[in-house]
Amino acid sequence: MNPLLSARKVSFGYGAGDVLRDVSIDLHPGEVTILLGPNGSGKSTLIRILSGVLPSRAGEVLLCGRPPRGYPRREMARLLSVVGQDPPVDFPMTVESFVALGRFPHQGFFGETTPEDRERVRQALAETDLYGLRDRTLSTISAGERQRATVARAIAQGARVMLLDEPTAFLDIRHRVAFYEIVTRMKEACGIAALVASHDLSLCAEYGERIILLAEGTVASQGTPVEVLTPGNVQAAYGLAVSCDRNPATGAIRVTPLRGMPAKNR
Amino acid sequence: MTPRARSEDGRLRPGPVFVLLGFALAASMALSASTGPVAIPPREFLDALLHGGAGTPARVLLSLRLPRAFLGLLVGGALATSGVAFQALLRNPLADPYILGVSGGAAVGALTVALFLSAGASPLLPLCAFFGAALSALAVFLLARRKSGVSPERLILMGVVVGAFLNAVIMLMVTLSPPGRIPGALYWLMGDLGLGTPRRVAVLLPYVAAGVVLLFLLSRGLDLLLLGEQAAFQTGLSVERVKTATYLTASLLAGSVVAVSGLIGFVGLIVPHGARALVGSGHRRLLPAAFLLGGAFLVLSDVIARTASPSGELPVGAVTALAGAPFFLYLLRRNGGKS
Repeated sequence: MNPLLSARKVSFGYGAGDVLRDVSIDLHPGEVTILLGPNGSGKSTLIRILSGVLPSRAGEVLLCGRPPRGYPRREMARLLSVVGQDPPVDFPMTVESFVALGRFPHQGFFGETTPEDRERVRQALAETDLYGLRDRTLSTISAGERQRATVARAIAQGARVMLLDEPTAFLDIRHRVAFYEIVTRMKEACGIAALVASHDLSLCAEYGERIILLAEGTVASQGTPVEVLTPGNVQAAYGLAVSCDRNPATGAIRVTPLRGMPAKNR
Repeated sequence: MTPRARSEDGRLRPGPVFVLLGFALAASMALSASTGPVAIPPREFLDALLHGGAGTPARVLLSLRLPRAFLGLLVGGALATSGVAFQALLRNPLADPYILGVSGGAAVGALTVALFLSAGASPLLPLCAFFGAALSALAVFLLARRKSGVSPERLILMGVVVGAFLNAVIMLMVTLSPPGRIPGALYWLMGDLGLGTPRRVAVLLPYVAAGVVLLFLLSRGLDLLLLGEQAAFQTGLSVERVKTATYLTASLLAGSVVAVSGLIGFVGLIVPHGARALVGSGHRRLLPAAFLLGGAFLVLSDVIARTASPSGELPVGAVTALAGAPFFLYLLRRNGGKS
């Protein structure tokens, strides 16, 4: 099957140096791809390039056959949604109206809401366990709840490609698992292609079809969890000694940092 | 699903709120029109409204007080909606055309016309004030911008600096102008609705109407701008286009108002916060609510300015600043505590 989103040998730099070098990835429908890599390895930059916020310095990005920056904005937003920055807290916006902003690319410019819009927003709120909080303002809920609201907004946007930049950073373990369950459901039900930048090494292995390991702006390794999550790869990317075994309950790869093993400087 | 007592925004139902705001505005305008040295009995008041009239009370009402009340409505509404727009554009709840130095730029533009082209209520006046406002807004944005982005505090600081500089320019222009060229300059500088003649209301009306309608058309875009530019872009907004349109429209509103009634501060700061408390942050409701509330607020401030001192009128800008400056400090402290 053709990838929904593909990047070929993408390079980028903010100043003189390279932040990304020759990165190639494919996102297929019905697949969750996990983007791993230490802080500063270029994950967020890659998501900005894939979503058309930044132009790549070299290489090519194709979203359904066209470069993302070549789309009219709304058409692009119907194809691809992004979970990134924290939502605003300086203005009193309710969770529900925040999530409803995700419907913008489906609405007329003045944002007339249709029954479908309302239904999608309700579903997105229910999926993310926020329905009870829908009338609260964003500044009065916790950071984790705000993060779920951001995910809900992307769900309401209803795009087939979802790029999620550390969507679980502030979540407790139950909501972290719930997040991966939601993505899995959307993958199976709607055939979305998701790219999830994350630091949850073991959870990723449970839920991701493919893993891309970024280190210093290049793809250090990519493939199935079994192929990528090896002690050697993790050591090389994170400078951390780990043991990798199989989780006896699920059979997925399990990554455990080792105590007392001094982290080797890269 | 049972009907909910509150609206989508989780606020009070918007219908009653708008009825209430409209009522408050009408009441404040009626109060304004019946306040003054010439007493107008209610019967003559109604008579003059419905049929016109030739007596002194009718003339006072129709050519002085009502134009003044309408000017207050237009000026207050325009300043409040301009404030809403600047706040969304800059994602900064402290933004206000006066604090950002935009009003100062507009004043320089208007004075330039008054000094070099024609005095009085020229239709050119609002246009040149708009150019002045747009230029000073641009200067403040560029000065405040750093690689890492624009911090709210830095933006306010630059607004104050540019505003102080423009104030000096205004003083120079007023001082160096030939006597009588700019009548009532001092009052005008402190913000005054006393120049409310039917002609001035007519000059201002098209600018304010166009500006408010344009902002209203942009309201969904303003909602999205609150997400931050990157998220707004990724949600399908043509961010640059909406930002440019908003910036020009907000400058047009602030500029045209300054051309007619001078430097009235803090309306664009206080009123949006009040309106948000009533109808939430969605701009399709916030903009009309801010317009009505801003109109009522300024008309009432003007009544206070006219009646507070037994020896004469205060400039209405002094009244709004008395209310606004403490409110600004409160917001600044609340904001500072959070970040």
